[in-house]
Amino acid sequence: MAAPSMAAALAASLPAPQAAPTPAAPTYEAIPASMSKAIDIEAEIPLTCVQLDGIVITKILKHSREAFSTTAHGLLLGLDLDGILEVSNSFALPNHHNDDDEKATKSIARYQQSMLRSLKEVQGDDNVVGFYQATSLGAFFNQSLIDTQAIHQDRLRHGGVVVVHDISQTARGNASFPFMDAYRRANFSTAGLISHRLTFSSILEEIPLRVRTNALLSSYLNTLAIPSTSTFSDAHPGVATTSALPPSYSVLDIGNVGLTKNLEQVAEAIDNYRTEEGNVAYLSRQIAREKLRAETYVAKRKEENARRVAQGLNALPEEDVSRLFRIPPEPSRLESMLLLGQVDAYAKSLEGIAGAGLVKMYAAKASSGV
Amino acid sequence: MPIRSSSSAAYIQNSSTSTNGVPSTRPTSLTIHPSALFSILDHYLRRTDAQHRVIGTLLGTRTDSTVDIKSAFAVLHSETDEQVAVDMDYHRAMYDLCTRVRPNETIVGWYSTGSDLNTYSALIQNFYSQETAPNQAVHVALDTGTEEGKSAGVKAYVSSPVGIFPKPENCVFVPIPCELRFHEAERSGLDLMLSPNPLSNQTDLDVLASSLTDVQNMLNRVLAYVQSVLRGEVVGDKAVGRYLMDVLGTGVEEDGGWTAGLQDTLMVTYLANLVRSQAEVSARLALTTAA
Repeated sequence: MAAPSMAAALAASLPAPQAAPTPAAPTYEAIPASMSKAIDIEAEIPLTCVQLDGIVITKILKHSREAFSTTAHGLLLGLDLDGILEVSNSFALPNHHNDDDEKATKSIARYQQSMLRSLKEVQGDDNVVGFYQATSLGAFFNQSLIDTQAIHQDRLRHGGVVVVHDISQTARGNASFPFMDAYRRANFSTAGLISHRLTFSSILEEIPLRVRTNALLSSYLNTLAIPSTSTFSDAHPGVATTSALPPSYSVLDIGNVGLTKNLEQVAEAIDNYRTEEGNVAYLSRQIAREKLRAETYVAKRKEENARRVAQGLNALPEEDVSRLFRIPPEPSRLESMLLLGQVDAYAKSLEGIAGAGLVKMYAAKASSGV
Repeated sequence: MPIRSSSSAAYIQNSSTSTNGVPSTRPTSLTIHPSALFSILDHYLRRTDAQHRVIGTLLGTRTDSTVDIKSAFAVLHSETDEQVAVDMDYHRAMYDLCTRVRPNETIVGWYSTGSDLNTYSALIQNFYSQETAPNQAVHVALDTGTEEGKSAGVKAYVSSPVGIFPKPENCVFVPIPCELRFHEAERSGLDLMLSPNPLSNQTDLDVLASSLTDVQNMLNRVLAYVQSVLRGEVVGDKAVGRYLMDVLGTGVEEDGGWTAGLQDTLMVTYLANLVRSQAEVSARLALTTAA
């Protein structure tokens, strides 16, 4: 329910697609070759990489952890330069659950505009390049994501990017950002599913993601990570050295914590898919039945006309069949495709967990045998 | 996890009551989230040439004795020799925006970069104390480490009025301990930033492998130390020796569940593979049957 309102809010607040600047005077200079990579008005250079600043990563992590039960989404701000999209800041969008649609849409749009204006005042970036969404166990395909992306597609340079962050991976203490990939939208239309040869894996185009920490931030982080020795000379060896950022080895924990949940989710996604497939099949059968009735009616009328012509009577007018028979529209396959994508994503993360678990089990076995 | 342990400050626990007799709870410690810390650094990078330092508002939650800083936003201000001005409208507007997303976070204080505390600091502190009333405002001074002779670090203060007749421009900044705190789940993001070659195309196994390499390196270091002690090159530390024995003495007990666990895991892997190939086939079939 929050999703379409968010999509509409985005539509209301984003700048309209910029028209190509038409030079008023014919005496404009050609862009020098050295600058051709930097000046890219028409967004012709394709994106090859998305670069996230450290601050964006911590902000997304914090937001998605705090909003565990609801969907966490927000906007990404930055610039693209020579095929690399540099995301330098982000802010969270509020979640609306019980407000009526119209009101929520407007207030989110207002929120965005004032936030962007405020950021500009303190020399922050205020150029929207995409949005982020937190997900669980890798299954990020859903209607709201597609809706939001569809709006961005028209209005942002390069069609906008969506960064997907996997909560469950971080919850287990694994590296999450490997699983967080930037996806770029490829061609998409529900009707032309077949003509575009579209499957769940080709809805979004994946772009490699890179993490960038600026010099100040990385020097700061490294200062924090340096262990400092305790001032007490007789301290216990376990607590003698402390650090603001101690190394963590939670990946080495044996036992598969998320496995049961993941399995349940696979089963649930498959169930949902079955239901959706059932709906589609039912609709298809209905269409076929209606079509058959229409066809028999037309054939009957033709036969009768032929008989009337043979008897020398005036032929009955060929009536509009579509007015007599209501043929339902072709069911949208988008939902089932997205569900299939979810099944695949859940299974993929299941595979990953099980694979790592296998390695850890053998490692534990080997070390216990010593 | 102290951010700066080299400080020699003794943290004075002052339990005095405030001037009007109402006991005000004074925060005795402060935790700061990386996201707030990084926001401050980002703001510092984006300052204008004219700005000597930047200030901003700290948002977070507070309990009786501790203040947890969750996020921060920049505030416009100008400082000249004669006066200091803080854009209060901007501060209010931004706070309103932030509370819409995170309603549980309130204003707890303010930050500035650079470690010098002056009259203007006292004036700004006075302003923020009004914002956080009845609680005390905290002040976080963040040293970016870019200036000569100053190391990077964070210091936190609460203020205390000074003099017989308290004036807004006079106050004593009392240091309080300050820690970096984040959820264990956010650890991986920080690890990624700390790694020298931050690329995202790592899998579960890559992360596991790097962790195992780390552990192996540490074991090698311990082994080298132990061998040098055994050879008599180094005089062994008894405390270290006991500690090593405690840590390494705990063996994994074999209880027969291993084989069952292995079979389960293999089964799950097989199942996951099966589901994925079925999904792929189903997607392809949807294309052909409708055609």
